[in-house]
Amino acid sequence: MAALCSAVGVSLGAVVRFLVPSVFYGPPQSFKIGNPGDFPYGPPTFLADEKIFVFRDRERGFAVASAVCTHLGCTVAYFQNDRDFHCPCHGSVFSPTGAVLHGPAPRPLNWFEITLTRDGQLRVDKDKTVPPTYRLMV
Amino acid sequence: MKWIREIWQSIVRRDPLSTDKGKSELVFLNVWLHIHPAKVKKENLRFKYSFYLGFITFFLFLILLTTGIALMCYYRPYPPAAYQDMKDLQFAVFMGSFLRNMHRWAAHAMVVCVFLHMCRVFYTGSYKKPRQFNWVVGVMLLLLTLGLSFTGYLLPWDQLAYWAITVGTNIGSYAPLVGGQLRELLLGGHAVGEAALLRFYVLHVAVLPSLVILLTIVHFWRVRKDGGLSRPIWKLKPQKTEALVTIGAPAAVAPLQVTAASKDKTYGLMEVVTGKPIFETVTPEEEKDTVFSYPYAFVREAVALMATVTSIMAISLFFNAPLEEMANPAVTPNPAKAPWYFLGLQELVSHSALLGGVVVPALMVVALILIPYIDRNPSRRPRERKWAIWLFTFFVVANIILIIVGTFFRGPGWAWVPPWVHVVARPE
Repeated sequence: MAALCSAVGVSLGAVVRFLVPSVFYGPPQSFKIGNPGDFPYGPPTFLADEKIFVFRDRERGFAVASAVCTHLGCTVAYFQNDRDFHCPCHGSVFSPTGAVLHGPAPRPLNWFEITLTRDGQLRVDKDKTVPPTYRLMV
Repeated sequence: MKWIREIWQSIVRRDPLSTDKGKSELVFLNVWLHIHPAKVKKENLRFKYSFYLGFITFFLFLILLTTGIALMCYYRPYPPAAYQDMKDLQFAVFMGSFLRNMHRWAAHAMVVCVFLHMCRVFYTGSYKKPRQFNWVVGVMLLLLTLGLSFTGYLLPWDQLAYWAITVGTNIGSYAPLVGGQLRELLLGGHAVGEAALLRFYVLHVAVLPSLVILLTIVHFWRVRKDGGLSRPIWKLKPQKTEALVTIGAPAAVAPLQVTAASKDKTYGLMEVVTGKPIFETVTPEEEKDTVFSYPYAFVREAVALMATVTSIMAISLFFNAPLEEMANPAVTPNPAKAPWYFLGLQELVSHSALLGGVVVPALMVVALILIPYIDRNPSRRPRERKWAIWLFTFFVVANIILIIVGTFFRGPGWAWVPPWVHVVARPE
Protein backbone atom coordinates (compact mmCIF):
# COMPACT_ATOMS: atom_id res chain seq x y z
CA MET A 1 0.00 0.00 0.00
CA ALA A 2 2.82 2.37 0.95
CA ALA A 3 4.62 1.52 -2.28
CA LEU A 4 1.47 2.20 -4.30
CA CYS A 5 0.89 5.53 -2.53
CA SER A 6 4.51 6.54 -3.13
CA ALA A 7 4.29 5.59 -6.79
CA VAL A 8 1.06 7.58 -7.23
CA GLY A 9 2.55 10.53 -5.31
CA VAL A 10 5.73 10.57 -7.37
CA SER A 11 3.74 10.26 -10.60
CA LEU A 12 1.44 13.12 -9.63
CA GLY A 13 4.45 15.23 -8.70
CA ALA A 14 6.02 14.49 -12.07
CA VAL A 15 2.78 15.44 -13.86
CA VAL A 16 2.56 18.77 -12.00
CA ARG A 17 6.25 19.49 -12.69
CA PHE A 18 5.69 18.61 -16.37
CA LEU A 19 2.91 21.21 -16.51
CA VAL A 20 5.11 23.97 -15.05
CA PRO A 21 6.88 25.51 -18.06
CA SER A 22 10.67 25.49 -17.79
CA VAL A 23 10.87 28.29 -20.34
CA PHE A 24 8.43 31.18 -20.62
CA TYR A 25 8.12 32.39 -24.17
CA GLY A 26 6.52 35.67 -23.16
CA PRO A 27 7.96 39.08 -24.04
CA PRO A 28 11.29 39.89 -22.27
CA GLN A 29 11.04 41.76 -19.00
CA SER A 30 13.98 44.00 -19.85
CA PHE A 31 13.83 45.86 -23.19
CA LYS A 32 14.86 49.01 -25.02
CA ILE A 33 12.13 51.55 -25.76
CA GLY A 34 14.00 53.99 -28.01
CA ASN A 35 15.97 57.22 -27.83
CA PRO A 36 15.19 59.91 -25.24
CA GLY A 37 14.26 62.28 -28.03
CA ASP A 38 11.42 59.98 -29.09
CA PHE A 39 9.43 60.90 -26.00
CA PRO A 40 7.70 64.28 -25.74
CA TYR A 41 7.39 66.39 -22.61
CA GLY A 42 3.99 66.58 -21.01
CA PRO A 43 1.45 63.75 -21.01
CA PRO A 44 2.97 60.28 -20.67
CA THR A 45 3.55 58.07 -23.69
CA PHE A 46 1.66 54.77 -23.51
CA LEU A 47 3.52 51.77 -24.95
CA ALA A 48 0.75 49.25 -25.60
CA ASP A 49 2.83 46.13 -26.15
CA GLU A 50 4.90 46.67 -23.01
CA LYS A 51 1.94 48.01 -20.98
CA ILE A 52 3.89 50.95 -19.55
CA PHE A 53 3.56 54.73 -19.35
CA VAL A 54 6.76 56.70 -20.02
CA PHE A 55 6.78 60.08 -18.29
CA ARG A 56 9.18 62.81 -19.35
CA ASP A 57 9.51 65.97 -17.32
CA ARG A 58 11.78 68.94 -18.12
CA GLU A 59 13.05 69.32 -14.59
CA ARG A 60 12.84 65.80 -13.27
CA GLY A 61 13.64 63.51 -16.20
CA PHE A 62 12.22 60.08 -17.14
CA ALA A 63 10.04 57.71 -15.14
CA VAL A 64 8.15 54.56 -16.12
CA ALA A 65 4.85 53.44 -14.55
CA SER A 66 3.15 50.11 -15.08
CA ALA A 67 -0.19 50.22 -16.87
CA VAL A 68 -1.32 46.98 -15.22
CA CYS A 69 -3.89 47.44 -12.46
CA THR A 70 -2.77 45.76 -9.25
CA HIS A 71 -6.30 44.48 -8.64
CA LEU A 72 -7.01 42.05 -11.48
CA GLY A 73 -4.52 42.87 -14.21
CA CYS A 74 -6.61 45.13 -16.46
CA THR A 75 -4.86 47.90 -18.36
CA VAL A 76 -5.39 51.32 -16.76
CA ALA A 77 -5.96 54.50 -18.73
CA TYR A 78 -4.36 57.89 -17.99
CA PHE A 79 -6.61 60.94 -17.82
CA GLN A 80 -4.71 64.12 -18.57
CA ASN A 81 -7.26 66.51 -17.03
CA ASP A 82 -7.20 64.95 -13.57
CA ARG A 83 -3.71 63.50 -14.03
CA ASP A 84 -4.77 60.17 -12.63
CA PHE A 85 -5.07 56.55 -13.76
CA HIS A 86 -8.43 54.78 -14.05
CA CYS A 87 -8.97 51.04 -14.24
CA PRO A 88 -11.89 50.09 -16.50
CA CYS A 89 -12.60 46.78 -14.77
CA HIS A 90 -13.53 47.71 -11.22
CA GLY A 91 -13.07 51.45 -11.08
CA SER A 92 -9.81 51.68 -9.17
CA VAL A 93 -8.29 55.19 -9.43
CA PHE A 94 -4.58 55.86 -8.95
CA SER A 95 -2.94 59.23 -8.26
CA PRO A 96 -0.14 60.64 -10.49
CA THR A 97 2.33 58.87 -8.19
CA GLY A 98 0.41 55.58 -8.59
CA ALA A 99 -1.11 55.60 -5.09
CA VAL A 100 -4.59 54.11 -4.74
CA LEU A 101 -7.16 56.91 -4.47
CA HIS A 102 -10.28 54.85 -4.85
CA GLY A 103 -11.52 51.32 -5.58
CA PRO A 104 -10.51 47.78 -4.75
CA ALA A 105 -6.85 47.84 -5.93
CA PRO A 106 -4.79 46.46 -3.04
CA ARG A 107 -1.53 48.35 -3.73
CA PRO A 108 -0.12 51.25 -5.80
CA LEU A 109 0.87 50.95 -9.43
CA ASN A 110 4.40 49.65 -9.98
CA TRP A 111 7.17 51.93 -11.19
CA PHE A 112 10.01 50.34 -13.14
CA GLU A 113 13.71 51.09 -13.38
CA ILE A 114 14.70 53.02 -16.49
CA THR A 115 18.34 53.38 -17.51
CA LEU A 116 20.38 54.69 -20.42
CA THR A 117 22.32 52.11 -22.43
CA ARG A 118 25.74 52.69 -23.99
CA ASP A 119 24.19 53.21 -27.41
CA GLY A 120 22.11 56.06 -26.00
CA GLN A 121 18.80 54.23 -25.82
CA LEU A 122 16.42 53.97 -22.90
CA ARG A 123 16.08 50.54 -21.28
CA VAL A 124 13.21 49.49 -18.99
CA ASP A 125 13.52 46.55 -16.61
CA LYS A 126 10.13 45.32 -15.40
CA ASP A 127 11.81 42.95 -12.96
CA LYS A 128 13.16 45.93 -11.00
CA THR A 129 10.57 48.07 -9.27
CA VAL A 130 11.56 51.47 -7.94
CA PRO A 131 9.86 54.13 -5.79
CA PRO A 132 7.65 56.66 -7.63
CA THR A 133 10.24 59.35 -6.90
CA TYR A 134 12.86 57.54 -9.03
CA ARG A 135 13.89 59.59 -12.07
CA LEU A 136 16.45 59.20 -14.85
CA MET A 137 18.04 62.48 -15.84
CA VAL A 138 19.32 62.52 -19.38
CA MET B 1 -35.51 -14.00 -43.94
CA LYS B 2 -34.92 -16.25 -41.00
CA TRP B 3 -31.29 -15.23 -40.70
CA ILE B 4 -32.25 -11.54 -40.70
CA ARG B 5 -34.66 -12.29 -37.87
CA GLU B 6 -31.89 -14.11 -36.04
CA ILE B 7 -29.51 -11.18 -36.41
CA TRP B 8 -32.23 -8.80 -35.22
CA GLN B 9 -32.98 -11.08 -32.27
CA SER B 10 -29.25 -11.21 -31.35
CA ILE B 11 -29.32 -7.41 -31.11
CA VAL B 12 -32.62 -6.78 -29.34
CA ARG B 13 -32.82 -10.04 -27.34
CA ARG B 14 -36.42 -9.55 -26.30
CA ASP B 15 -39.99 -10.51 -27.02
CA PRO B 16 -42.13 -8.21 -29.15
CA LEU B 17 -42.93 -4.87 -27.54
CA SER B 18 -46.65 -5.61 -27.77
CA THR B 19 -46.25 -7.88 -24.78
CA ASP B 20 -45.54 -6.85 -21.19
CA LYS B 21 -42.65 -9.31 -21.15
CA GLY B 22 -41.13 -7.61 -24.18
CA LYS B 23 -41.53 -4.17 -22.57
CA SER B 24 -39.77 -5.43 -19.44
CA GLU B 25 -37.01 -7.12 -21.39
CA LEU B 26 -36.34 -3.99 -23.45
CA VAL B 27 -35.05 -2.46 -20.25
CA PHE B 28 -34.05 -5.49 -18.26
CA LEU B 29 -31.88 -7.15 -20.91
CA ASN B 30 -30.42 -3.92 -22.11
CA VAL B 31 -28.03 -1.11 -21.22
CA TRP B 32 -31.14 0.91 -20.29
CA LEU B 33 -31.22 -1.01 -17.02
CA HIS B 34 -28.39 1.24 -15.86
CA ILE B 35 -30.71 4.22 -16.19
CA HIS B 36 -34.21 2.84 -15.66
CA PRO B 37 -35.85 -0.06 -13.90
CA ALA B 38 -38.34 -2.01 -16.03
CA LYS B 39 -41.17 -0.19 -14.29
CA VAL B 40 -41.22 3.29 -12.81
CA LYS B 41 -43.54 5.10 -10.44
CA LYS B 42 -46.21 7.10 -12.22
CA GLU B 43 -45.88 10.22 -10.13
CA ASN B 44 -42.12 10.37 -10.72
CA LEU B 45 -42.84 10.86 -14.40
CA ARG B 46 -44.84 13.99 -13.75
CA PHE B 47 -43.24 17.05 -15.30
CA LYS B 48 -44.01 19.24 -12.30
CA TYR B 49 -41.97 17.00 -9.98
CA SER B 50 -38.53 16.96 -11.61
CA PHE B 51 -39.08 19.25 -14.63
CA TYR B 52 -36.79 16.67 -16.29
CA LEU B 53 -33.94 19.02 -15.43
CA GLY B 54 -31.39 16.23 -15.00
CA PHE B 55 -32.23 14.78 -18.40
CA ILE B 56 -32.35 18.22 -20.04
CA THR B 57 -28.89 18.98 -18.63
CA PHE B 58 -27.64 15.67 -20.01
CA PHE B 59 -29.21 16.39 -23.41
CA LEU B 60 -27.56 19.80 -23.46
CA PHE B 61 -24.25 18.07 -22.77
CA LEU B 62 -24.91 15.77 -25.76
CA ILE B 63 -25.59 18.84 -27.94
CA LEU B 64 -22.33 20.35 -26.68
CA LEU B 65 -20.41 17.17 -27.45
CA THR B 66 -21.70 16.87 -30.99
CA THR B 67 -21.47 20.55 -31.93
CA GLY B 68 -18.10 20.76 -30.16
CA ILE B 69 -16.65 17.89 -32.21
CA ALA B 70 -17.96 19.57 -35.37
CA LEU B 71 -16.37 22.91 -34.41
CA MET B 72 -13.04 21.20 -33.70
CA CYS B 73 -12.76 20.41 -37.42
CA TYR B 74 -12.32 24.14 -38.12
CA TYR B 75 -10.53 25.38 -35.03
CA ARG B 76 -6.80 25.90 -34.51
CA PRO B 77 -5.95 26.63 -30.87
CA TYR B 78 -3.31 29.33 -31.29
CA PRO B 79 -3.52 33.06 -31.89
CA PRO B 80 -4.31 34.69 -34.23
CA ALA B 81 -5.55 31.59 -36.13
CA ALA B 82 -8.12 30.91 -33.41
CA TYR B 83 -9.83 34.23 -34.05
CA GLN B 84 -9.58 33.86 -37.83
CA ASP B 85 -11.27 30.47 -37.52
CA MET B 86 -14.11 32.11 -35.60
CA LYS B 87 -14.56 34.52 -38.50
CA ASP B 88 -14.43 31.59 -40.92
CA LEU B 89 -17.08 29.76 -38.92
CA GLN B 90 -19.19 32.88 -38.90
CA PHE B 91 -18.96 33.76 -42.59
CA ALA B 92 -17.34 31.00 -44.68
CA VAL B 93 -18.19 27.58 -43.24
CA PHE B 94 -21.54 26.09 -44.19
CA MET B 95 -23.71 26.17 -41.02
CA GLY B 96 -20.60 27.21 -39.06
CA SER B 97 -22.28 30.17 -37.42
CA PHE B 98 -25.36 28.09 -36.57
CA LEU B 99 -23.28 25.32 -34.97
CA ARG B 100 -21.24 27.82 -33.00
CA ASN B 101 -24.43 29.52 -31.84
CA MET B 102 -25.82 26.14 -30.74
CA HIS B 103 -22.62 25.38 -28.85
CA ARG B 104 -22.60 28.74 -27.09
CA TRP B 105 -26.30 28.83 -26.15
CA ALA B 106 -26.32 25.18 -25.06
CA ALA B 107 -23.34 25.93 -22.80
CA HIS B 108 -25.19 28.82 -21.15
CA ALA B 109 -28.34 26.72 -20.88
CA MET B 110 -26.39 23.88 -19.29
CA VAL B 111 -25.07 26.19 -16.56
CA VAL B 112 -28.65 27.35 -15.89
CA CYS B 113 -30.15 23.84 -15.97
CA VAL B 114 -27.52 22.23 -13.77
CA PHE B 115 -28.15 25.00 -11.22
CA LEU B 116 -31.93 24.61 -11.43
CA HIS B 117 -31.53 20.83 -11.16
CA MET B 118 -29.54 21.35 -7.96
CA CYS B 119 -32.31 23.62 -6.62
CA ARG B 120 -34.97 21.04 -7.44
CA VAL B 121 -33.01 18.31 -5.67
CA PHE B 122 -32.54 20.54 -2.65
CA TYR B 123 -36.13 21.72 -2.33
CA THR B 124 -37.49 18.18 -2.63
CA GLY B 125 -34.96 17.01 -0.01
CA SER B 126 -33.67 14.40 -2.44
CA TYR B 127 -30.09 14.69 -1.18
CA LYS B 128 -30.97 12.93 2.06
CA LYS B 129 -30.02 9.41 2.99
CA PRO B 130 -29.24 7.29 0.98
CA ARG B 131 -28.56 9.90 -1.72
CA GLN B 132 -25.91 11.99 0.08
CA PHE B 133 -22.99 10.93 -2.07
CA ASN B 134 -24.89 11.47 -5.30
CA TRP B 135 -25.47 15.07 -4.22
CA VAL B 136 -21.68 15.42 -3.86
CA VAL B 137 -21.20 13.95 -7.35
CA GLY B 138 -23.80 16.46 -8.58
CA VAL B 139 -21.89 19.39 -7.03
CA MET B 140 -18.72 18.11 -8.74
CA LEU B 141 -20.62 18.06 -12.04
CA LEU B 142 -21.79 21.65 -11.42
CA LEU B 143 -18.17 22.73 -10.87
CA LEU B 144 -17.03 20.85 -13.98
CA THR B 145 -19.81 22.52 -15.99
CA LEU B 146 -18.56 25.92 -14.84
CA GLY B 147 -15.00 24.83 -15.66
CA LEU B 148 -16.02 23.74 -19.15
CA SER B 149 -17.86 26.97 -19.77
CA PHE B 150 -14.97 29.05 -18.43
CA THR B 151 -12.29 27.27 -20.50
CA GLY B 152 -14.49 27.50 -23.60
CA TYR B 153 -14.88 31.23 -23.07
CA LEU B 154 -11.24 31.91 -24.06
CA LEU B 155 -11.25 29.90 -27.28
CA PRO B 156 -12.72 32.55 -29.67
CA TRP B 157 -9.71 34.73 -28.77
CA ASP B 158 -11.66 37.98 -29.00
CA GLN B 159 -11.62 40.92 -26.60
CA LEU B 160 -14.51 39.48 -24.58
CA ALA B 161 -12.65 36.19 -24.18
CA TYR B 162 -9.24 37.64 -23.43
CA TRP B 163 -10.35 40.04 -20.71
CA ALA B 164 -12.91 37.74 -19.13
CA ILE B 165 -10.17 35.14 -18.66
CA THR B 166 -7.62 37.73 -17.55
CA VAL B 167 -10.01 38.94 -14.86
CA GLY B 168 -11.17 35.39 -14.01
CA THR B 169 -7.68 33.91 -13.58
CA ASN B 170 -6.47 36.96 -11.64
CA ILE B 171 -9.35 36.43 -9.22
CA GLY B 172 -7.96 32.93 -8.56
CA SER B 173 -4.46 34.29 -7.97
CA TYR B 174 -5.68 35.86 -4.71
CA ALA B 175 -5.80 32.39 -3.15
CA PRO B 176 -3.26 32.37 -0.33
CA LEU B 177 0.13 30.68 -0.84
CA VAL B 178 -0.59 28.82 -4.06
CA GLY B 179 -2.84 31.26 -5.96
CA GLY B 180 -0.06 32.73 -8.11
CA GLN B 181 1.47 29.34 -8.92
CA LEU B 182 -1.91 27.84 -9.77
CA ARG B 183 -2.58 30.71 -12.14
CA GLU B 184 0.78 30.18 -13.87
CA LEU B 185 0.09 26.46 -14.08
CA LEU B 186 -3.28 27.12 -15.69
CA LEU B 187 -1.97 29.77 -18.08
CA GLY B 188 1.39 28.14 -18.82
CA GLY B 189 2.93 31.60 -18.45
CA HIS B 190 2.69 34.92 -16.63
CA ALA B 191 -0.23 36.25 -18.66
CA VAL B 192 -3.00 35.05 -20.96
CA GLY B 193 -1.26 34.18 -24.22
CA GLU B 194 -0.54 31.35 -26.65
CA ALA B 195 0.27 28.84 -23.93
CA ALA B 196 -2.91 29.70 -22.04
CA LEU B 197 -5.05 29.24 -25.15
CA LEU B 198 -3.56 25.81 -25.78
CA ARG B 199 -4.00 24.71 -22.18
CA PHE B 200 -7.59 25.94 -22.04
CA TYR B 201 -8.25 24.08 -25.29
CA VAL B 202 -6.83 20.82 -23.89
CA LEU B 203 -8.89 21.23 -20.73
CA HIS B 204 -12.00 22.13 -22.74
CA VAL B 205 -11.95 19.34 -25.32
CA ALA B 206 -10.27 16.48 -23.45
CA VAL B 207 -9.75 16.68 -19.71
CA LEU B 208 -13.00 18.22 -18.47
CA PRO B 209 -15.39 16.39 -20.86
CA SER B 210 -13.78 13.06 -19.86
CA LEU B 211 -14.33 13.87 -16.20
CA VAL B 212 -17.93 14.95 -16.88
CA ILE B 213 -18.65 11.71 -18.75
CA LEU B 214 -17.10 9.64 -15.96
CA LEU B 215 -19.01 11.43 -13.21
CA THR B 216 -22.25 11.41 -15.22
CA ILE B 217 -22.01 7.63 -15.43
CA VAL B 218 -21.49 7.47 -11.67
CA HIS B 219 -24.34 9.98 -11.13
CA PHE B 220 -26.85 7.97 -13.22
CA TRP B 221 -25.74 4.69 -11.73
CA ARG B 222 -26.12 6.07 -8.21
CA VAL B 223 -29.64 7.29 -8.99
CA ARG B 224 -30.54 3.71 -9.89
CA LYS B 225 -28.74 2.18 -6.92
CA ASP B 226 -30.31 4.69 -4.53
CA GLY B 227 -33.76 3.59 -5.62
CA GLY B 228 -34.48 5.82 -8.59
CA LEU B 229 -35.95 9.30 -8.27
CA SER B 230 -37.07 10.12 -4.78
CA ARG B 231 -40.84 10.00 -4.33
CA PRO B 232 -42.62 13.33 -4.69
CA ILE B 233 -43.26 14.99 -1.35
CA TRP B 234 -47.03 14.77 -1.85
CA LYS B 235 -46.69 11.00 -2.17
CA LEU B 236 -44.53 10.49 0.90
CA LYS B 237 -45.80 7.88 3.25
CA PRO B 238 -44.51 6.22 6.40
CA GLN B 239 -41.51 3.93 6.01
CA LYS B 240 -42.26 0.34 5.15
CA THR B 241 -42.29 -1.91 8.13
CA GLU B 242 -40.04 -4.94 8.19
CA ALA B 243 -43.08 -7.19 7.88
CA LEU B 244 -43.90 -5.78 4.45
CA VAL B 245 -40.42 -6.35 3.04
CA THR B 246 -40.75 -9.81 1.66
CA ILE B 247 -38.65 -12.16 -0.32
CA GLY B 248 -39.47 -13.95 -3.52
CA ALA B 249 -39.60 -13.27 -7.24
CA PRO B 250 -42.97 -12.01 -8.47
CA ALA B 251 -44.92 -14.78 -10.06
CA ALA B 252 -45.05 -14.75 -13.84
CA VAL B 253 -48.76 -14.30 -13.69
CA ALA B 254 -50.78 -11.73 -11.78
CA PRO B 255 -51.86 -11.23 -9.09
CA LEU B 256 -48.68 -10.60 -7.15
CA GLN B 257 -48.45 -12.43 -3.89
CA VAL B 258 -46.89 -11.13 -0.74
CA THR B 259 -44.66 -13.87 0.53
CA ALA B 260 -43.33 -13.74 4.04
CA ALA B 261 -39.56 -13.49 4.30
CA SER B 262 -38.10 -16.76 5.35
CA LYS B 263 -35.26 -17.08 7.76
CA ASP B 264 -34.35 -20.36 6.08
CA LYS B 265 -33.79 -18.82 2.71
CA THR B 266 -30.29 -18.68 1.30
CA TYR B 267 -29.70 -15.11 0.17
CA GLY B 268 -27.75 -14.23 -2.96
CA LEU B 269 -24.58 -12.13 -2.91
CA MET B 270 -26.34 -9.01 -4.24
CA GLU B 271 -28.97 -9.28 -1.53
CA VAL B 272 -26.25 -9.43 1.11
CA VAL B 273 -24.40 -6.49 -0.42
CA THR B 274 -27.44 -4.26 -0.73
CA GLY B 275 -28.85 -5.43 2.58
CA LYS B 276 -32.27 -6.09 1.17
CA PRO B 277 -33.94 -8.65 -1.03
CA ILE B 278 -33.54 -8.19 -4.76
CA PHE B 279 -37.08 -9.20 -5.46
CA GLU B 280 -38.88 -7.04 -3.01
CA THR B 281 -42.49 -7.80 -3.60
CA VAL B 282 -44.89 -4.94 -3.77
CA THR B 283 -48.44 -4.61 -2.67
CA PRO B 284 -51.16 -4.48 -5.35
CA GLU B 285 -51.69 -0.76 -4.51
CA GLU B 286 -48.02 -0.04 -5.16
CA GLU B 287 -48.18 -2.08 -8.33
CA LYS B 288 -51.00 0.14 -9.57
CA ASP B 289 -48.74 3.16 -9.03
CA THR B 290 -46.15 1.92 -11.52
CA VAL B 291 -46.00 1.83 -15.30
CA PHE B 292 -43.57 0.25 -17.75
CA SER B 293 -40.52 2.42 -18.48
CA TYR B 294 -41.20 1.62 -22.11
CA PRO B 295 -43.05 3.50 -23.45
CA TYR B 296 -44.07 5.87 -20.64
CA ALA B 297 -40.66 7.09 -19.41
CA PHE B 298 -38.91 6.65 -22.76
CA VAL B 299 -41.45 8.72 -24.67
CA ARG B 300 -41.38 11.52 -22.10
CA GLU B 301 -37.59 11.59 -22.22
CA ALA B 302 -37.63 11.61 -26.02
CA VAL B 303 -40.01 14.59 -25.87
CA ALA B 304 -37.64 16.34 -23.44
CA LEU B 305 -34.75 15.63 -25.82
CA MET B 306 -36.63 17.00 -28.81
CA ALA B 307 -37.81 20.05 -26.88
CA THR B 308 -34.24 20.75 -25.72
CA VAL B 309 -32.70 20.39 -29.18
CA THR B 310 -35.51 22.38 -30.83
CA SER B 311 -35.24 25.21 -28.30
CA ILE B 312 -31.48 25.50 -28.72
CA MET B 313 -31.84 25.40 -32.50
CA ALA B 314 -34.54 28.07 -32.44
CA ILE B 315 -32.45 30.37 -30.22
CA SER B 316 -29.42 29.75 -32.46
CA LEU B 317 -31.39 30.77 -35.54
CA PHE B 318 -32.30 34.15 -34.11
CA PHE B 319 -29.41 35.07 -31.81
CA ASN B 320 -25.76 35.03 -32.76
CA ALA B 321 -23.06 34.12 -30.28
CA PRO B 322 -21.06 37.25 -29.49
CA LEU B 323 -17.75 37.83 -31.24
CA GLU B 324 -15.89 41.06 -30.65
CA GLU B 325 -12.67 42.30 -32.25
CA MET B 326 -9.52 40.21 -31.89
CA ALA B 327 -7.94 40.00 -28.44
CA ASN B 328 -5.78 43.03 -27.73
CA PRO B 329 -3.75 42.78 -24.52
CA ALA B 330 -3.06 46.52 -24.62
CA VAL B 331 -6.67 47.72 -24.59
CA THR B 332 -9.05 46.73 -21.83
CA PRO B 333 -12.71 47.13 -22.78
CA ASN B 334 -14.56 49.33 -20.36
CA PRO B 335 -16.11 47.66 -18.46
CA ALA B 336 -14.34 44.27 -18.75
CA LYS B 337 -16.70 41.61 -17.51
CA ALA B 338 -16.22 37.95 -16.65
CA PRO B 339 -18.70 35.36 -18.02
CA TRP B 340 -22.20 36.13 -16.66
CA TYR B 341 -22.24 33.23 -14.17
CA PHE B 342 -19.09 34.67 -12.55
CA LEU B 343 -20.42 38.25 -12.48
CA GLY B 344 -21.76 37.72 -8.97
CA LEU B 345 -18.23 36.92 -7.88
CA GLN B 346 -16.86 39.84 -9.90
CA GLU B 347 -19.31 42.13 -8.10
CA LEU B 348 -17.93 40.87 -4.77
CA VAL B 349 -14.38 41.14 -6.12
CA SER B 350 -15.01 44.82 -6.92
CA HIS B 351 -15.30 45.32 -3.16
CA SER B 352 -12.64 42.87 -2.00
CA ALA B 353 -10.65 40.54 -4.21
CA LEU B 354 -9.81 38.15 -1.38
CA LEU B 355 -13.40 37.99 -0.17
CA GLY B 356 -15.03 37.68 -3.58
CA GLY B 357 -12.30 35.70 -5.28
CA VAL B 358 -11.34 33.22 -2.62
CA VAL B 359 -13.25 33.24 0.66
CA VAL B 360 -16.86 33.35 -0.60
CA PRO B 361 -16.48 30.86 -3.50
CA ALA B 362 -14.47 28.43 -1.33
CA LEU B 363 -17.07 28.61 1.42
CA MET B 364 -19.91 28.18 -1.08
CA VAL B 365 -18.36 25.06 -2.61
CA VAL B 366 -17.53 23.48 0.77
CA ALA B 367 -21.02 24.30 2.11
CA LEU B 368 -22.72 22.85 -0.98
CA ILE B 369 -20.72 19.62 -0.75
CA LEU B 370 -21.40 19.24 2.97
CA ILE B 371 -25.15 19.99 2.83
CA PRO B 372 -26.28 16.32 3.09
CA TYR B 373 -23.90 15.69 5.97
CA ILE B 374 -24.72 18.88 7.91
CA ASP B 375 -28.48 18.58 7.43
CA ARG B 376 -29.22 15.51 9.57
CA ASN B 377 -32.98 16.12 9.63
CA PRO B 378 -34.43 13.02 7.95
CA SER B 379 -37.69 14.72 6.96
CA ARG B 380 -38.20 15.76 3.36
CA ARG B 381 -41.35 17.76 4.04
CA PRO B 382 -40.77 21.54 3.55
CA ARG B 383 -42.82 22.27 6.67
CA GLU B 384 -40.33 20.33 8.78
CA ARG B 385 -37.14 21.80 7.30
CA LYS B 386 -37.80 25.53 7.27
CA TRP B 387 -34.27 26.55 8.29
CA ALA B 388 -32.59 24.56 5.54
CA ILE B 389 -34.97 25.97 2.95
CA TRP B 390 -34.52 29.56 4.17
CA LEU B 391 -30.73 29.27 4.11
CA PHE B 392 -30.61 27.70 0.66
CA THR B 393 -33.11 30.23 -0.70
CA PHE B 394 -30.93 33.03 0.66
CA PHE B 395 -27.93 31.50 -1.14
CA VAL B 396 -29.86 31.23 -4.43
CA VAL B 397 -31.42 34.72 -4.25
CA ALA B 398 -28.13 36.37 -3.22
CA ASN B 399 -26.38 34.74 -6.18
CA ILE B 400 -29.08 35.79 -8.62
CA ILE B 401 -29.14 39.40 -7.34
CA LEU B 402 -25.35 39.70 -7.54
CA ILE B 403 -25.35 38.30 -11.10
CA ILE B 404 -28.13 40.73 -12.14
CA VAL B 405 -26.26 43.66 -10.59
CA GLY B 406 -22.98 42.64 -12.27
CA THR B 407 -24.67 42.07 -15.64
CA PHE B 408 -27.07 44.99 -15.94
CA PHE B 409 -26.14 47.63 -13.39
CA ARG B 410 -22.39 47.99 -13.84
CA GLY B 411 -20.98 50.31 -16.48
CA PRO B 412 -17.60 51.84 -17.32
CA GLY B 413 -15.17 51.74 -14.42
CA TRP B 414 -17.61 49.34 -12.71
CA ALA B 415 -19.68 52.36 -11.74
CA TRP B 416 -23.37 51.91 -10.87
CA VAL B 417 -25.12 52.47 -14.20
CA PRO B 418 -28.73 51.29 -14.59
CA PRO B 419 -29.39 49.67 -17.98
CA TRP B 420 -31.68 52.52 -19.09
CA VAL B 421 -28.89 55.12 -18.69
CA HIS B 422 -26.61 55.73 -21.66
CA VAL B 423 -23.01 56.49 -20.77
CA VAL B 424 -20.70 58.48 -23.01
CA ALA B 425 -17.02 57.52 -22.71
CA ARG B 426 -14.81 60.10 -21.06
CA PRO B 427 -11.89 61.33 -23.20
CA GLU B 428 -8.46 60.26 -21.98
